[in-house]
Amino acid sequence: MWPNAEHEQTVPLLRVADLRVEFDTARGTVEAVNDIGFEVSAEQTVAIVGESGSGKSVTALAVLQLLDGGRIANGQIVWDGQDLSAVDKSRMRGIRGEDIAMIFQDPMTSLDPLYSIGDQIVEAIRLHRKISKTEARDRAVELLGQVGIPDARTRLRAYPHELSGGQRQRVMIAIALACAPRLLIADEPTTALDVTIEAQVLELIRDLQRQYQMALVLVTHDMGVVAEMADWVVVCYAGQVVEQGPAGKLLTDPQHPYTEALLTAIPTPETDKSQPLGAIGGAVPALHEMPPGCRFQPRCRHAWQDCTQPPPVVRLDGGRSSRCWLRAPAPTESRRAEPEQELA
Amino acid sequence: MTEYVIRRLLYGLLVVFLVTVFVFLALRLIPGDVVRLQLADAPGVTEEQVDRLAAELGLNQPLFTQLGTFLADAVRGDFGQSFQDGEQVTTLIGERLPITLQLGAMAVLFGVLAGIPLGVLSAVRRNSWLDQSLRLVSVAGISIPNFWLGLLMVTYLALLFTWSPPLVYQGPTEDLSSNLVHLALPALALGTSTMASIARMLRSSLLEVLHSNFIRTVRAKGASELRVIGKHAMRNSVVPVFSILGLQVGHILGGTVILESIFGIPGMGMLIFESVQMRDYPVVLGCVVVYGAVFVLINLIVDVCYGVIDPRIRYART
Repeated sequence: MWPNAEHEQTVPLLRVADLRVEFDTARGTVEAVNDIGFEVSAEQTVAIVGESGSGKSVTALAVLQLLDGGRIANGQIVWDGQDLSAVDKSRMRGIRGEDIAMIFQDPMTSLDPLYSIGDQIVEAIRLHRKISKTEARDRAVELLGQVGIPDARTRLRAYPHELSGGQRQRVMIAIALACAPRLLIADEPTTALDVTIEAQVLELIRDLQRQYQMALVLVTHDMGVVAEMADWVVVCYAGQVVEQGPAGKLLTDPQHPYTEALLTAIPTPETDKSQPLGAIGGAVPALHEMPPGCRFQPRCRHAWQDCTQPPPVVRLDGGRSSRCWLRAPAPTESRRAEPEQELA
Repeated sequence: MTEYVIRRLLYGLLVVFLVTVFVFLALRLIPGDVVRLQLADAPGVTEEQVDRLAAELGLNQPLFTQLGTFLADAVRGDFGQSFQDGEQVTTLIGERLPITLQLGAMAVLFGVLAGIPLGVLSAVRRNSWLDQSLRLVSVAGISIPNFWLGLLMVTYLALLFTWSPPLVYQGPTEDLSSNLVHLALPALALGTSTMASIARMLRSSLLEVLHSNFIRTVRAKGASELRVIGKHAMRNSVVPVFSILGLQVGHILGGTVILESIFGIPGMGMLIFESVQMRDYPVVLGCVVVYGAVFVLINLIVDVCYGVIDPRIRYART
């Protein structure tokens, strides 16, 4: 939809590099995100995909520093030339909602149950805009109209419990758009919704993205949604980016066994119905028991002896990259001699 | 909402009725006879005199007849006369109730005004030394009986600072400062457990709410922590605090009986204390009915407040 062949030439709006996020738990410190990096250009849609536990939501929350109990232990989050991991709290508050807005996975619990939706939208506007309550209410009506809630002016007085899940997510989108942000982060925005509502909400997000000329970071585990929406895809596994590249190429010609496995897990009309669906065996390893070497290796069909060593991030054509020994060009002997013990 | 309040009021009436009947019967189970207590000092009392006094007080009737008479009079606002001096019970209560209400209100006020900031502080500074010491204070505050606290206050203030509360009670219109000073210590003693319970409840309630998704949404909008806590987290945490407060009012009312006697405050508590000693049944009953009614009424107000705070409760009630 948006050209991104010149991805590397445009100045990125958001650049995440070497991100590491740690949580303190009863069993010690764990890394939810170990090594994630990607860029988002203006008006581009970047999808972050992966299974549960891959660190994709944590990454999204880390950008706005909304991690509950977690901390950014390493790396940079550069927004518009400014490293957000170094800014003070009040500057961060200025960015939240104003420059970068976010919608969440669970619309049922993401709105304050004690305030009307009008109050909550007005609050989002007036936190960043010095306008009167009446003007803010007019803007709220306009926003509710834009997200497809009929009879917007009377609906302002509705409380969250009077709305369905889909409507609540629309209200969340209205809150996110309140100050016309340049980037919208959507953390699995449709996971909690019906399939029919999911399509509507995704359609709405795409329309509004165009209208507001926003960039979009879409966190999802649904490869179908990725194919539908994304310009650029970042595939996460166990807290690392394992592959990234332009959506069209990545989806048709994956360069990492994990991406490949994710794609074969999607049924198509041609899928043989007599066979079980191609699921990836096993589960994402728990944070405190990461395997040494390649983190996907215990579940990988192509695993071989080199995979007990951490694989390099191999740069490929068109800005693509893959964290896999299979793509490494050099002979393996020399590499095996290197003492890479960081994950041991 | 109106329908809900009316329904609750009717339930409340039923509760007060049951309390009245229960206390009426329980009083007669206390050993000791009002007639013999009154005549105890007089030498050479004859059985005739005893019977005459009992008949005068209506105590020679069967128990359930007495109960029926009392209830029939009570619904007309007549709680009978004191066995002691023949004073109307309603007049006695009318004089004493305002004093106790003032004391109770001061205790609740102290409990709320001290408990809320302490609860917020320990939630926001969770697991800090401040939180730990507040936890200690709260657990102590909940555990220590209020009359013991009252006794300690009187004793140690006198011992350490050679200061004691005024001996003669003066009403707020007579001498406001003396009145407030006099009531301050018993109010502190009464309100301490309220403060402690509110602080504990608010802390856990706030901590739960602060981790909820909608708080994350408020933060994602760019709201300050003050706004996150003051506007959103507090209002969502306050319902359990209100229920605690309703229960604590019961503790405070009960506590007035002994604390008013310790501090020499001529309120309902002292009246009930003296009347129980003298087996002055009508006064005790009258007081208990009023205590019961105040408790029921305050809990009704608390329940109505839930609806004001939470639109979902309001919705469920219509």
